[in-house]
Amino acid sequence: MAYLEMIDIVKRYSGVLANDHVDLAVERGEIHAVMGENGAGKSTLMSILYGLQSPDQGYLRFKGSTLLLQSPLDAIAHGIGMVRQAFRLFESLSVWENIVYRREPRRGIFVDGARARAQVQELARRHGLPIDPMARVAHLPVGVRQRLEILKALYREAQVLILDEPTAVLTPAEVATLFTVMKSLAASGCTILLVTHKLNEVMAVSDRITVLRNGRVAERLVTAETNPNAIVRAMTGHPVTLQTSKPREPGTVKLEARGLTVEQHGRRVVDDVSLTVRGGEIVGIAGVAGNGQSELIEALMGLTVVAQGSVYLQGRNVTHDSVAAHRASGLSYIAEDRARTASAAAASATDNLAMGFHCQPPLAHRGLLQQKAMRKWARGLIEQFDIKIASVDTAVGTLSGGNLQKIVTARELAHNAPVLIAEQPTRGVDVGAISFIHGELLRERERGHAILLVSAELSEILALADRILVMYEGRIVAEFARADADEATLGLYMAGGTRS
Amino acid sequence: MTYAFFNATFFDQAVLGITPILLAAMAGTLSERVGLFNIALEGQMLVGAFAAVAGSHFGGSLQAGVLSAVAAAVVFSSLLAVGSALLRGNDIVIGISLNLLAAGLTSFLLRTLFGVSGTFSDSAMLGLPRLSIPGVASLPLLGSALGHQNFLVYFSWILVAAITVFLNRTPWGLRLRGIGEQPAAAVALGADATRYRFLVTLLGGALCGLAGLQLSLGSLTLFSENMTAGRGWIAVAAVMLGRARPLAVAASCVLFGLSDALGLRLQGEGLPNQITDSAPYVVTLAALVIAGLRQRRLTGAVT
Amino acid sequence: MRIAAGVRSHLSRRVAPLLPIVGAVAVGFGVCGLIALWVGLSPSLMFRQLLQGAVEGPQLFETVARAVPLVGMTLAAAIPLRAGIVNLGADGQLALGGCAAAIVALYFPAPDLVRLGMALAAAMVVGACYAALAAAGEILAGVPLLLSTWLLTYPAKGLCGYLVRTPLRDPSTAWPSTARIAVGARLGHLIPGTPVNQGFLLIALVAIAVIFLDRHSSMGFELRLRGLNERFARYGGVALNRQTLGVMIASGAIAGLVGAIMVLGSQFRYTDGALTAPQYSWSGTLAALLAGGEPVGSVIAAVLFAALQTGGFAMERSVEIPRVLTMVLQSVIILFLAMRGAIWKRA
Repeated sequence: MAYLEMIDIVKRYSGVLANDHVDLAVERGEIHAVMGENGAGKSTLMSILYGLQSPDQGYLRFKGSTLLLQSPLDAIAHGIGMVRQAFRLFESLSVWENIVYRREPRRGIFVDGARARAQVQELARRHGLPIDPMARVAHLPVGVRQRLEILKALYREAQVLILDEPTAVLTPAEVATLFTVMKSLAASGCTILLVTHKLNEVMAVSDRITVLRNGRVAERLVTAETNPNAIVRAMTGHPVTLQTSKPREPGTVKLEARGLTVEQHGRRVVDDVSLTVRGGEIVGIAGVAGNGQSELIEALMGLTVVAQGSVYLQGRNVTHDSVAAHRASGLSYIAEDRARTASAAAASATDNLAMGFHCQPPLAHRGLLQQKAMRKWARGLIEQFDIKIASVDTAVGTLSGGNLQKIVTARELAHNAPVLIAEQPTRGVDVGAISFIHGELLRERERGHAILLVSAELSEILALADRILVMYEGRIVAEFARADADEATLGLYMAGGTRS
Repeated sequence: MTYAFFNATFFDQAVLGITPILLAAMAGTLSERVGLFNIALEGQMLVGAFAAVAGSHFGGSLQAGVLSAVAAAVVFSSLLAVGSALLRGNDIVIGISLNLLAAGLTSFLLRTLFGVSGTFSDSAMLGLPRLSIPGVASLPLLGSALGHQNFLVYFSWILVAAITVFLNRTPWGLRLRGIGEQPAAAVALGADATRYRFLVTLLGGALCGLAGLQLSLGSLTLFSENMTAGRGWIAVAAVMLGRARPLAVAASCVLFGLSDALGLRLQGEGLPNQITDSAPYVVTLAALVIAGLRQRRLTGAVT
Repeated sequence: MRIAAGVRSHLSRRVAPLLPIVGAVAVGFGVCGLIALWVGLSPSLMFRQLLQGAVEGPQLFETVARAVPLVGMTLAAAIPLRAGIVNLGADGQLALGGCAAAIVALYFPAPDLVRLGMALAAAMVVGACYAALAAAGEILAGVPLLLSTWLLTYPAKGLCGYLVRTPLRDPSTAWPSTARIAVGARLGHLIPGTPVNQGFLLIALVAIAVIFLDRHSSMGFELRLRGLNERFARYGGVALNRQTLGVMIASGAIAGLVGAIMVLGSQFRYTDGALTAPQYSWSGTLAALLAGGEPVGSVIAAVLFAALQTGGFAMERSVEIPRVLTMVLQSVIILFLAMRGAIWKRA
């Protein structure tokens, strides 16, 4: 009998079978990878293990006894911890306050701060996760925050640690550190479940692999006895090919930034950035999230005040102009945060698709809306982009991530703007939609438009971009043509290193 | 004339004026820290003020008045607790409607229970007695203001210190801060966000009830319609200015109380009372503008 | 068969959102009935008086006359509310507008009708400027409009109170008020023998304009979408600051206009506190909240509240139930709706 077992798990969401009689068996002290494409069922499976959801059928067995989990608190109480992609930390509190939250060592009715800090130091030292207990979380870089999340779980005596796509926000160097930590945790008896879709990482650190495809277990592999191709075949059912663009002669400069600097809280979050994007080329910006990419894009869009430098769109200086002026000068923007920024959940598809077009013909005539034209416009885009939605009047808040991303993409592409900024355009989107969106971006390129692509997925950038820039701490630290770039080199610059 | 401008009465008036705002602002501070935007301070204070007079009159004693003020305000605040903390309705809408409900209810009850409209006063009613702190009470200028006040005034000062310690040094204060800042994270670690919000709202109600008690029985003993006159809103402004940090909020309250007393003093010097009545509100607005401009300069404006 | 099903689903889509409102109204009436019982008054008598007092005979014209300023103040609240902005300073803008109208109508050297027109215009300009002041506070210094508009009402009312007591005081009256405005510069009766004056036409025009613009203009689109998601509006190119200023100016202008209508159409002088005594601003805000800022719903809610308040006056005269109970009723209805999350559920 295995240490941890998930037996015959079935979970259904409104008709879709997310987990189809899945069995998982994990041994003590093992690093077990759970792999699969977006939508294969890994997240659902792990959320059941962590008590976030109950399976429709099946059960869990841990250390020989059956587990009935009502909530993550139950899971934590039984020794199962999870570090998720979106961290849940108290920004304004210190590291130690975050770790001991709700299990505070006390002295009378007061919190024993000194003892808490000592405990945190000891825990960090024991597991090789150095951290400053007094540091304020708001000032910590992403890699350290993740360490904090791991320490939170260990403080609560987790014996099973689920890591959900942990390397998405790390530089390659930080990934290596994480792997060292994982191996030492496993060696000391902690069992680790690594949820990921990244092959090289799985090969580097895991002992065994369970591959999910379409909700079912496709394969169970032993890492030492398999290879990347076999894994890919198990994940997709066929060898994978990413769409790649063919080389092209770029046209005139459509988007240019000169010495762009943005300051926030006294810090230069964008530091003297200069770049150009020509018509018919895709320029990719690689970099770990939080190095100024979002602020750079906001400056290019006119959403943030520019401290120094300038932005030119098709030759026009738009540096201090409004967002509307930027858009009018030929700029569209697929925003990263589709729910909070790029759409209004309570508004209909018609309204969402009309935003940005609502002042000009055919949707408006002399300031008055043309309702019929708006609906026709919406229907056209929905059909063209194959968006699954009940009607044009349906509120977009009910749509799946992939469909909402399609709405955002459809709208922004409908501008037919000479310059397009795409920020994390395929985040959290199923495979079919990813392929579709990539196709659209390449089509834009064919039309001679200039595209600036910001993505945390190096594979996406390497596949689509003609030129690749690396951003680190607000500066552009390297530039490569696609042929000259590879993951290792990019990773080096993303972490702030330089090739000597 | 100037030598008597800031006399002992001035400071005494100031302290009396600060206290209800301070109590309400502490209620607002706790709400803000737990993640709720409590703009119903005005209404809860008014309910407390009315209940204090009603309780004291019908119950025949000051204690009855105190109990009624707190009880009524807590019951009233349970509407806010259920609507905002429990059901997660919109804070602003609930707050505004509670303020209006309080005004309507107290006016209605004034007419039906006391048979008068406008103001009710009863010379037989006892107000809050003043206590003397030996040594402090004999200080020049500030003696009466600091050393010869009723128990609520001293309670409000102790409250500021107590809340500061509670928030920063106790486990429950830490959990409360976490809930206010990142409810998802707090709940994931097992904090009962709903319970904290609910209890904080009720506690805030009690504090506002005491604020109302100070208003109606603290110096003169009477209730008049809408006697809170916007103090609850000034408390909201104080919480904003002080960024929900108890000491900073208290400092803001002192600022407003002083400007209120200043307005009264200027009235005594002959300035028309319509102008001087506006003093605390104008000062509040000016303080908010100055603080806002400073904030803008620090973080960098957004287009 | 399919048509019937389509009609039914279309109706249910329209009707379903109204159910919480009906429920809230029922709760409101229930609570007021209980309060009435508690103080020894008969609920059924109360409600009957309320209804008769609102619509029977000449009372109907009373309701209509009251609906004019109430609908006006509701629109003044609804326009910013559509964008998610709360204007609590309508009382101040109302008072300043009414005062300005009185001053122009009394002292501006021009023939009667011109004075009337200028008084109306002056009221709107003054109201708009004062509201713009609060908007400037938000735009330049980040002071929340919710607070700044509220705080600004006090200096506004204070200034008007001072003006009417000192420079402008008519010594022949007992209360602090200005002289009577000449007949030629007043808003005349619309329906003779009733309190309904020409202000009705002005407010009706404003209501039509607001509803039309909200539904059919790009400006209305931008306003509505901003109310739904401000970040999205900004990202889509909506000039937020300009919009904030615009809605506050519109709101202040309408509030000022209502003040002018009250002064020129029914009171014929500016008396300190007379414009704010009926509490049209608060009822207007409540009605706008009830409808979530949507113009047609706001107007309907305003008319209903006007009926309620007229009925309340009549009820007070006949059965001595204090009319403030209608305020309680209005508040309870909104409170109940807000609690159930039917009004802007919290994110």
